[in-house]
Amino acid sequence: MLSLAAQMLRFRKGGFVATFLALAAGVTVLMTCALLVESGLRYHGTPQRYGRTVAVVADRDMTVTRTMLGEQESTTLTLPERGSVPGSLVHRIAEVPGVTKAVGDRWIPVMAPAAPDTAVTGHGWSGATLAPYELVAGSPPRADADVAVDSRLADAAKLRPGDRTEIVTGGRTLSLRVSGVVEAPAAEGSGSALFFTDARASRLDPRPGRFDAIGVLAEPGADTPAVVAAVRRAADSAGATTYTGADRGLAEEPEAAAARNLTVQAGSAFGGYAAVIIVFAAASTVGLSVRHRRRELALLRAVAATPGQVRAMILAEVGLLSALAALVGVPAGLAATGRLRDELVERHFVPGTFTIQGGLLSGLAVTAAVALVALAAAWTAALRTTRIRPTEALGEAAVDKGLGGRTRLVSGLVFLAAGVSLIGLTGATGGDTALGAALGMLYTFVLAIALLAPWINQGAARLLTPVLRTVWGNSGYLAAANLRAGARGMVAVLTALVLSVGLGGTVWFLQDNLQRQTEAQSHDGTRAQHALVGTTGLPASAADQARRIPGVEAATGVRRTAVIVRGGLEPGTALAQGIDPEGADRTMDLGVRSGNLEALDGKNTVAVSASLAGAAGWEVGDRARLWLGDGTPVTLRVVAVYDRGFGFGDVTLGKATLAGHTRTSLDDHVLVRTADGASPAEVSAALDRVARQYPAAAVTGTDRLTAELGADLAVSAWLNRMLILVLVGYSVLAAANTLVMAALARTRELSLLRLVGVTRGQIKRMIHAEQAGLLGVALAIGGIIAAVTLSSVVNAVTGERVPYVPTLGWITIVAGTVTLALAAVLLPIRRVLRVSPVRGIGLRE
Amino acid sequence: MHPSSPATPAVTLQGVTRTYDGEQPVAALAGVDLDFPAGTFTAVMGPSGSGKSTLLHCAAGLDRPTSGRVRIGGTDLSSLSEKHLTELRRGRVGFVFQAFNLVPALTVEQNILLPSRLARSAPDPRWVAEIVERVGLAARLTHRPSELSGGQQQRVAIARALVSRPEVIFCDEPTGALDTQTAAEVLALLRAVVDDTGQTVIMVTHDPVAASYADRVVVLADGRVVRDMPRPGAARIAEQLAGLGRRQYAVHGEG
Repeated sequence: MLSLAAQMLRFRKGGFVATFLALAAGVTVLMTCALLVESGLRYHGTPQRYGRTVAVVADRDMTVTRTMLGEQESTTLTLPERGSVPGSLVHRIAEVPGVTKAVGDRWIPVMAPAAPDTAVTGHGWSGATLAPYELVAGSPPRADADVAVDSRLADAAKLRPGDRTEIVTGGRTLSLRVSGVVEAPAAEGSGSALFFTDARASRLDPRPGRFDAIGVLAEPGADTPAVVAAVRRAADSAGATTYTGADRGLAEEPEAAAARNLTVQAGSAFGGYAAVIIVFAAASTVGLSVRHRRRELALLRAVAATPGQVRAMILAEVGLLSALAALVGVPAGLAATGRLRDELVERHFVPGTFTIQGGLLSGLAVTAAVALVALAAAWTAALRTTRIRPTEALGEAAVDKGLGGRTRLVSGLVFLAAGVSLIGLTGATGGDTALGAALGMLYTFVLAIALLAPWINQGAARLLTPVLRTVWGNSGYLAAANLRAGARGMVAVLTALVLSVGLGGTVWFLQDNLQRQTEAQSHDGTRAQHALVGTTGLPASAADQARRIPGVEAATGVRRTAVIVRGGLEPGTALAQGIDPEGADRTMDLGVRSGNLEALDGKNTVAVSASLAGAAGWEVGDRARLWLGDGTPVTLRVVAVYDRGFGFGDVTLGKATLAGHTRTSLDDHVLVRTADGASPAEVSAALDRVARQYPAAAVTGTDRLTAELGADLAVSAWLNRMLILVLVGYSVLAAANTLVMAALARTRELSLLRLVGVTRGQIKRMIHAEQAGLLGVALAIGGIIAAVTLSSVVNAVTGERVPYVPTLGWITIVAGTVTLALAAVLLPIRRVLRVSPVRGIGLRE
Repeated sequence: MHPSSPATPAVTLQGVTRTYDGEQPVAALAGVDLDFPAGTFTAVMGPSGSGKSTLLHCAAGLDRPTSGRVRIGGTDLSSLSEKHLTELRRGRVGFVFQAFNLVPALTVEQNILLPSRLARSAPDPRWVAEIVERVGLAARLTHRPSELSGGQQQRVAIARALVSRPEVIFCDEPTGALDTQTAAEVLALLRAVVDDTGQTVIMVTHDPVAASYADRVVVLADGRVVRDMPRPGAARIAEQLAGLGRRQYAVHGEG
């Protein structure tokens, strides 16, 4: 049976190309998603600085547990601001039997102007022993102004012992002397390290009395598991986590954990969405190819094949195709993931140490999954062949009879109703949840359309008959008849087209809407004209100085951070800003809906966006429980609810509340509002003088700030857009596939028409009319679905009733659909028409 | 070779009816009783819509009668599952259709051997060589069907039908798409199958010349046997058919 199937494949290459393409592209897409997940799961960061430790105690994530429908559900979130451990824990761990040494490691964000592209962190010299870093030149830092640099930084900045160099930290530039160059034996991590004296490091650390992590060194020959267990007990009592083995990398680089979450989530979510389309594409191409071969299969049945043998042959064909598809798709997926990894690193989604790992597991899983989908599709299609009476081999071409069963109609209507009922309750609050809600709603609608497609096609054909006849005359009459008769056959095409239009029109535009809303809110809500921006951070003194400039009405230091909130459905991270509340109403207008921002002066107050307040059920005067970026739980009184959460973050806090709970204790920028009547030029010049006192600081217009916000958002939306593009591309491929297959299968029909006197021109016009009808319906339905989904999700997220649809966007969708029709139908038809009709009518189908 | 003894007919139809469902049910066969003796060549004729193709399909086990019984060599087809029916067709029945007889992906030789391949049995190579020789296709074994003329394709189909040494060969308009000369060659081949190896041939046709190769002509009209003529000759067949045509026309004229 296998060799028979192989021979069929070789002979009918054309008929199987569509299925092969759908499967191979499916394997590639799923392979990329699976490999992203596998690499993410295997990724632990690189424990470069902790190479010698048996365990590292740190606080990098938190678990929120809540009761949902009587079941305990917990969500683990990476802390947005690293987290820290109390200094007293060092002594307790040092007392654990078997521990030679417990070293508190500090982590100070620094920047070396001599090597601005190298990511560097600062530490106390005692932390060097954890790697261990060994001196390769010079001596350890002994004086206050000494610093030891690792060889990577030394190379990048061309430093040697004795050189003087500048290091920016805490919003100041320090002039230091390089005392030595050190090197660690372990593999290189994603950043460089430099070492101050312990005393200096302690003064520079924005988190006084705490350590970033504690490295544990054990006695040689100690019972490591027992030591680790004892350390873990001590750490647990302080609410810290103990990391061992490869996981130590997660303590060193919490970005690794974030990258891990990102890749695992993005990979699995999009893998899931893609899988649905792949199931659909595989089912439709396999089904269509079986349908086109009814006569051949009937002949086999008549000649001597049992239904089981015919099924086995179809399964063998599809099985062989799946194997071929895996052979092409798996390496393509490997290559694609490699490219994706580079792009992700470049856009800072993941650290440079993130590598694509494994592949065998993903490859096997994806191959098995796609083969299973294809075989299931083949099995369903083959079951239908049992119903093919062998006598059909004697009859003329098989005509599609009937539209579909009652079950199909009813389930289609149920899905349609489900889609409609989703309109009100998308439950979306932020970018990612909005995306999920939009996709869920879209898929429900598309599923309904797929089920109802036979009736839609026929209804549309009836409706369009007078139009097509008026516009295209006799050709239009034929086209309408074909559309009516082929209502069942065009189901796959309609569904694939609606899916592409819907995906493009919903999810793609959703990103535009979120971005536009953020920019618009930021623009409308910024009352300041100038911004003092420090790329390495500005100390509070910058805002004070700006405030004292004559002609400045108000200056607000803004610190961007994130907090963890329970939210409505699932705990999550919300963007937050810490501000100087005094005069903030003159530099920014958050669109306060209720309460008063002025009340944000105390340490225990908070203002939240309307969408977060809605999700969490908070009102002005309520006590809001949330966690600051380093995991510290706080209970704050809600003093204001505002509208512009997209432009400014969902949570606004007084800066005092954040003190010691962020990585740097520095402001990201200072918003400055000029008083009426003051000279903007003079204020600007004075601000420039302030900026010059701070490293890497500059004065810009607030428009620039908004534009940069938009640009940052575009970067963070890049991954979503890319993955959506792949989904759209895949569904377009599915549509094109079915269109080409259907067109090429019409040789006999078109030859017959020509033999009875229809001219080539009339046939072409007939095809045009058919395409106009089919594409018109697909565009209309896809457009309606996209409009309904997009506006309901955008309304839920931003409160805007009418979503923004970029002109270029919808032109692309319409033009893309038309191009698809041209390429996938008119070109194959032209080829079909080149065959002489007398030959064409005798050809096999 | 191994024809059934003349006492037992190769194919028997008893009270066979076949009704096609639809908005207005159509009775394609309205009660047919027929015996096809082994080692004979029977032509089934009749106007379009008389039920002759349905008769062939039911007799060959390609279609199931609505009521009545069909036996092939003593085996009652109504009790057989689809799978067993296929196996019976594979071993004891051969087919030649008007067109689309061959799988286009397979060569001539592969098409001829397809039933044995599906049955996982290896036919006697000498027998295959003899058949190929007899249908005159020895030089064409590696060709694809698309490279053959219509007559050659029909000869391949006959060769395929002969390989399993079936008791009965059913032919549905085997010469319908052929010119007179080629048709004569194909019909002579079928005649030889009956005369030389004692197999049974049942052929549906509406060509009186084709029917004149048969030992017996059965004429159907409106799903019933209306004439059963032993060796009538082409002229008489044409006359009978013409009469039938007029009668039908008259009936339609009245209604």
